[in-house]
Amino acid sequence: RYVRQLQRLQLLFSPTAADARGARQFVEEAAQDFARQHPDVVLYVSPHAGPGPAPVLRAEYLNGTVREELIASKTSEEIVQLATKLANQSGLDIIRIRKPFHTNNPSVQGQWHPLTNKPSILTVQGPCLQPQ
Amino acid sequence: AAPPPEKKRWLRAYLELQRLRAPPQRRSEKPNWDYHAEIQAFSHRLQEDFALDLLKTAFVNPCYIESEEARRRELGLDKDAVALHLPDNTKLAEQGLRFARAYLTRSFEGAYPDLPAKGIEALVNFLTSQELVSYVAQNLSIQDLALCRDFPAPPDVLQRTFLAVVGALLESSGPERTGIFVRDFFIPQLIGKDLFEIWEVVNPMGLLLEELTKRNISAPEPRITRQLGVSTVLPVYFVGLYCDKKILAEGPGETLLAAEEEAARVALRKLYGYTENRRPWDYSKPKHGLAAEKAISSN
Repeated sequence: RYVRQLQRLQLLFSPTAADARGARQFVEEAAQDFARQHPDVVLYVSPHAGPGPAPVLRAEYLNGTVREELIASKTSEEIVQLATKLANQSGLDIIRIRKPFHTNNPSVQGQWHPLTNKPSILTVQGPCLQPQ
Repeated sequence: AAPPPEKKRWLRAYLELQRLRAPPQRRSEKPNWDYHAEIQAFSHRLQEDFALDLLKTAFVNPCYIESEEARRRELGLDKDAVALHLPDNTKLAEQGLRFARAYLTRSFEGAYPDLPAKGIEALVNFLTSQELVSYVAQNLSIQDLALCRDFPAPPDVLQRTFLAVVGALLESSGPERTGIFVRDFFIPQLIGKDLFEIWEVVNPMGLLLEELTKRNISAPEPRITRQLGVSTVLPVYFVGLYCDKKILAEGPGETLLAAEEEAARVALRKLYGYTENRRPWDYSKPKHGLAAEKAISSN
């Protein structure tokens, strides 16, 4: 069955900084709807008072990866889109995919080895029968 | 006026080193942790309805209760305050283990009717073994929610907690839903695994002879079918097993004995229906009539 890989989202922002305006609007308007639509993700909202680090959305996945995304000077809709993108991802590292194809069944009739299509030693070689 | 004095240049590097050297901590001791919310999210993530108090009992391990009571005793509290009134999860774990084993045995008996009881027992033991269950539990974040004494949680604690979760589901939702849960989380671990990787068979030829006598087929005659590089360091022999001059199975090997054993294993796989090209497992929803029939027949 499908198990959402996102465990929790932590929204760290400052209540007074100017670049956290989108984050504050998100918390006021869209955070509750997001939490209701994704009941398997725990949303933590932690405002830290005073001038601190930039507003950040931290996502923790089931395999332990923690991904931080800056939300400074982003609007509320953009933050919603970003949160849904993080919720639909798995926690695997984002690296270059070496090849755009993969298969679990590389061979349907059995992989060729030098002895396929070679008659076995036990086959008796008799004189050829003429077609009648 | 002079600008305010900055913190020293080495301070940032020092703080970074302290952060990297800090010992790993439980998630529950780091900031932003709400146990109740995490448990609700856990039940939604598995798409199952749990009775929350049963689920909370399922995460309490006996080692945690002992360590908590020892800590309270050291802090010098009275006897009443020392005793933690928390039921632990051993009973739920036993129930979960029993149900999981019974369900898996039933499903394997239904799917592979030719597989003998020892083979089914080996498969079920593999699926309920410590490594597999603790691997599944780790990837479902049970190691964050489980209350236990050591961190990181040892595999037997994770196994006990996961089976206790299964037991809690059994008590809250009934055997049908728990059966679907066990099927969805345990059986995909068999994908890509070969039968004889899981089931250690010492003498495949003897087992094959028993199976053939049960089906009234004469004893197999091994013949070399193909051979390559006989006089080299790496020869390859293909030995075929023939019953009444009809081919049963063929297997490769480095020496003649190894090839014969491998041919016997291939023949056993064919007889038990556990080849690589068998039908994949059926994950469709079970019909309600079938479940009622099974319940009536088991009664």
